[in-house]
Amino acid sequence: QSLEPLPMSGPDFGALGEEAELVEVEPEVKQEILENKDVVVQHVHFDGLGRTKDDIIMYEICDVFKAKNLIDVMRKSHEAREKLLRLGIFRQVEVLIDTCQGDDALPNGLDVTFEVAELRRLTGSYNTMVGNNEGSMVLGLKFPNLFGRAEKVTFQFSYGTKETSYGLSFFKPQPGNFERNFSVNLYKVTGQFPWSSLRETDRGVSTEFNFPIWKTNHTLKWEGVWRELGCLARTASFSVREESGHSLKSSLSHAMVIDSRNSSILPRRGALLKINQELAGYTGGDVSFLKEDFEFQLNKQLLWDSVFSASLWGGMLIPIGDKPSSIADRQATFKSFSLFSNKSFLNCFQFYLGGPTSVRGFSMYSIGPQSEGDYLGGEAYWAGGLHLYTPLPFRPGRGGFGDLFRTHFFLNAGNLCNLNYGDGPKAHLQKLAEYIRWSYGAGIVLRLGNIARLELNYCFPMGVQSGDRICDGVQFGAGIRFL
Amino acid sequence: AAEPWPENAALYQQLKEEQILLSDNASSLAVQAFLQMCNLPVRVVCRANAEYMSPSGKVPFIHVGNQVVSELGPIVQFVKAKGHSLSDGLDEVQKAEMKAYMELVNNMLLTAELYLQWCDDVTVEEITHPRYGSPYPWPLNRILSYQKQWEIRRKMKAIGWAGKSLEQVLEDVDQCCQALSQRLGTQPYFFNKHPTELDALVFGHLFTILTTQLTSDELCEKVKNYSNLIAFCRCIEQQYFEGHDKDSSSSATSRAAKRSLLR
Repeated sequence: QSLEPLPMSGPDFGALGEEAELVEVEPEVKQEILENKDVVVQHVHFDGLGRTKDDIIMYEICDVFKAKNLIDVMRKSHEAREKLLRLGIFRQVEVLIDTCQGDDALPNGLDVTFEVAELRRLTGSYNTMVGNNEGSMVLGLKFPNLFGRAEKVTFQFSYGTKETSYGLSFFKPQPGNFERNFSVNLYKVTGQFPWSSLRETDRGVSTEFNFPIWKTNHTLKWEGVWRELGCLARTASFSVREESGHSLKSSLSHAMVIDSRNSSILPRRGALLKINQELAGYTGGDVSFLKEDFEFQLNKQLLWDSVFSASLWGGMLIPIGDKPSSIADRQATFKSFSLFSNKSFLNCFQFYLGGPTSVRGFSMYSIGPQSEGDYLGGEAYWAGGLHLYTPLPFRPGRGGFGDLFRTHFFLNAGNLCNLNYGDGPKAHLQKLAEYIRWSYGAGIVLRLGNIARLELNYCFPMGVQSGDRICDGVQFGAGIRFL
Repeated sequence: AAEPWPENAALYQQLKEEQILLSDNASSLAVQAFLQMCNLPVRVVCRANAEYMSPSGKVPFIHVGNQVVSELGPIVQFVKAKGHSLSDGLDEVQKAEMKAYMELVNNMLLTAELYLQWCDDVTVEEITHPRYGSPYPWPLNRILSYQKQWEIRRKMKAIGWAGKSLEQVLEDVDQCCQALSQRLGTQPYFFNKHPTELDALVFGHLFTILTTQLTSDELCEKVKNYSNLIAFCRCIEQQYFEGHDKDSSSSATSRAAKRSLLR
């Protein structure tokens, strides 16, 4: 079984999620008195700034001055600390609140001091990864806070027994508005897809802008990729062999994410909506298509610590012009962006179906159009899942290790096919509604940190069509994004 | 026992009008001639990515049933396994001779063609780069073209041709043609009265050289010095290619061929 690539972990101070601990002073018995006491924040000091420029610091801490009473000061300082940490330029941030000393000190004046330790100019990491019959060593170099305003340059090099990839990324946030940022990436990535007997090497450059609008997060991206496809084995089907060669894709894409879940792995409540579109061909290149896809997830907590979750995925790939869509257009955009920018590993849309991370009970990406055993993906798909997560029976290891595990009962369904775009939408819906594959089963889920999860399920695949490969019985899966 | 040859057998090569180069066209024509001589029909399919589709990276390749075989040598073996052969009538000495001459053509003529295409700066600029990258958009056309050039030049260096000048290469072509001409003599084919794969190979290369317009006529002139070779090409063309679709070849007699392979 192949694993989806796990993102690189590192001293990244991204969203802390539900693991955030509150810092500072425990409110004491005298809390009521303190709350009523008016204070004025007179000075805010910073210890330990080196190359960081002042202006970006100012944005993050300006709220502290607005605090009116002591509890407010503590809260605003804590928020400022979080904001400073998420810039990714400090190794640690400590806050000290003290009364003001000195000549101009007011009786209710306070001094807030932030003691920070900047990250070194260059940090490196070295990992080894073992994947699908391949081992590789991964070397990462990061230059945090390059010019003093939280710019970051990352370089990653992966040397494997079969393939070599590398990538260079430059990231710059807007001072004062960390969620608005842009990054430029240069990369060469290779991937092997045994379910299609296909090898793909992508060399590309991309630039993307992220910005929030109200509660949603938007990403605008331009990407230029030189794609090279080849057969993985001499026994590859002729349909795949016909796709070998080079193509150039130049595309603009837009993605919107609304995420109100409390966690991305095993959330207890909240919803997620992701809508992605990509238009290729109008900015150069020889590949023209319009790709639309979406992902929706809803979670609700029920009695006795159990969670009910529903999810729906769907997408459509419309080739523009005479040329049919290429198998590379349907492949997973698993690129190493996931390791550079803060959240694009979530933008992993693909037009393949089946496997432990999508419709369970079927082999990896082994549903839908195929030729001589090589799966070609499809131009339209939908997939849905209903899950019930409960704590392990009898709750072993409660309060500790046992909390990482959940039992889950699932019902998955989906379909993947090619559409004849000449027919109308009614015909399309009809085609997607016939030959639905579905499965049900139960299993155990293990949560790995805040990023990934492992599943071990017992599955009953149903609605199997000829050509699909199933994996009935025990199926193991590891990854980031599950149906 | 001969196995049935499927009807939808196909031969893949690059695009004829805009893309294919001298050396690839010669190789493709050689295979087409060979299959014609064996009386095995095959249709020619032109694809821009034929070179990358091929399992060995070289054109042409044939798709027969669900098997894919590329290059003349393996194709001859494959066809033999199916029960068709042109060289069965030869004795051991003749077979060895045939192999030797085929090696000569591959080492001399084919390498000379590659040299001319990829190492002669004028030809590279005016003909090779524009043609090789023509199916691809900018900047991919330049990248692929330079990548291939670098690869061929590296190979030339490995076999010691990098230091040769164009005159020396043309001299080698002349010597090769002389050897072929002497062996051919006044016979219709190289061995007895029946064509073999050697005939197909020689025809493929010589015919392509004669009918391809390059930046200069020097290469063509070297071949034209030997009238029996020209007659040989004309004879094979008439016997195996005329009467089929006009696309597969053009008359060797018309020098300013409207259908010249390179512009």
